[in-house]
Amino acid sequence: MALIELRDVTKSYTRDAIEIPVLDRVSIAVEAGDFLGLMGPSGSGKSTLLNLLAGIDRPTSGSVRVGDTEISSLPERSLAGWRARHIGFIFQLYNLIPVLTAFENVELPLLLTNLTKAQRRDHVTTALGIVALGDREKHYPRQLSGGQEQRVAIARAIVTDPTLLLADEPTGDLDAKSAAEVLTLLQRLNQEYKKTIVMVTHDPHAAERASHLLHLEKGTLVEQTRVG
Amino acid sequence: MKFLGLVLKSARRSGTEASSSTRIVTIRSTSLIFSMPTSHAETIRSTPGVQDLTWANWFGGIYKDPQNFFANIAIEPVSYLRMYPEIVLAPEARAAFVEDRTACIVGEGLARRYGFKLGDKITLKVGIPTYGTEDYDFTVRGVYKSGGAAVDNQSMFFHWKYVDERSLVKGQAGWYVIKVANPDQAAQVSAAIDQKFANSPYETKTDTERAFQSSFVSMFGNLSLLLGSISLAVVITTLFVAGNTMAMSVRERTTEIAVMRTLGFPSSTIFLLVAGEALLMSIIGGVLGVGLARVIVNPNLIQAGAFIPVFGVNNTNAAVGLGLSAFIGLVAGFIPATMASRLKIVDALRRAA
Repeated sequence: MALIELRDVTKSYTRDAIEIPVLDRVSIAVEAGDFLGLMGPSGSGKSTLLNLLAGIDRPTSGSVRVGDTEISSLPERSLAGWRARHIGFIFQLYNLIPVLTAFENVELPLLLTNLTKAQRRDHVTTALGIVALGDREKHYPRQLSGGQEQRVAIARAIVTDPTLLLADEPTGDLDAKSAAEVLTLLQRLNQEYKKTIVMVTHDPHAAERASHLLHLEKGTLVEQTRVG
Repeated sequence: MKFLGLVLKSARRSGTEASSSTRIVTIRSTSLIFSMPTSHAETIRSTPGVQDLTWANWFGGIYKDPQNFFANIAIEPVSYLRMYPEIVLAPEARAAFVEDRTACIVGEGLARRYGFKLGDKITLKVGIPTYGTEDYDFTVRGVYKSGGAAVDNQSMFFHWKYVDERSLVKGQAGWYVIKVANPDQAAQVSAAIDQKFANSPYETKTDTERAFQSSFVSMFGNLSLLLGSISLAVVITTLFVAGNTMAMSVRERTTEIAVMRTLGFPSSTIFLLVAGEALLMSIIGGVLGVGLARVIVNPNLIQAGAFIPVFGVNNTNAAVGLGLSAFIGLVAGFIPATMASRLKIVDALRRAA
């Protein structure tokens, strides 16, 4: 059974009484351990699809299943708990909390668990070690470069050992060198730590790191390719 | 500082509560500003239940400048000091005051304020025309301490006779202070006194010392309403300012809140975080405000005088202030906390992008 399954998912928004379709009857399946790249022009529905997988948005119709959970029918409170346990989200603009240090930013999702302070420290140290920022734990986001901020954001995403890593244009705001480092890190998380990753990207170089690619256009799936 | 008004208001109330249950006060039924003949004294003294009596006049003298306001009262010295054991004077000072017709005694707070010492000459300009036109000279014969809340330490007392000699209208008393034998009969004694002067040109109104103090305070206008209005305006303004500040704070942190929701923080936690922040900030403000009020509204610093004896911030006032600040925090934080907890994650992230 696939880890992720979307069946006939439709999503539309209403703006000024006008209904704007974003996704039209999209069905996909992602196996555990896959590194899926979602590509397509702006407005094609890539980020919306990612938001549906993250449980931060709901489909207009159709179903979204991740693991054993039909998330499209979960109530909001259960959905928040489900996100905390199963989803690691990486944003294009990193979205670290500016008043917290790198350590505290990474520790944030662990505050929702029953771990002790010592256990949380172990987890955070491990996560920061994986992204090679163990020596920056006391730094605030403003004291880090863009690439380092994104690596802290990745550490925050993996610290709870989630089922699924979702990345929305993770290299969109980075220079080529930092982008390559972040992509290498994501690839390593996929290959070495067997993390299932879904990544939205415009960048063909980023897409090359994925094991599968899906192309969306005007809300419909137009092409599915295997990389390498 | 928002509590200052309310604190002052309740402090004023506590001032009027600082009264004796055995003392009642007779004034003219029309108003405290009108005087009565001292011949009333014997009539009052003959009323059953009356144990002792004294009288006094509000002199309203001006010390150098009208801004140097303090209560200066002409009293019948022996009976007045007997009536108010709260005026604590050294025996020699008491004797010197009683013996010297031009003597005066001043409260230690007033003495500290103007540097008055024993033997100093104090000249008061006439503030009320009925006392003539010439200045009055007094010699400080004693500095009294306040031995109870009914007496402040910011007043000046001198001989009624000295003033009466030069008054245009002789033999007038502003009010009588009467000691009743049994506090439970105060109402009956008051009614009996007033009955004796009913239908005379100088009808009286006798009431408890507390009521007298309240009417004295009201000579300054409806202080209660004034302070209450200011306090209410300050509280409402503070409420809007605090609410607006919290709403702005939430708007500025929309992305952070959306990120926390994405990480799995439930909306109830977000609500509690924002409401808790508003509550905490408001309580910190409250603690600072109460602390400052306790320093500023200090009986040793505030020269209220004139029958507003206890003018400070007590523990009850402080508790009311803190309670009010907590209330403001809760109310001000409720709407921003609700906004934050109901934030649509996708919309918030899209705005940030």
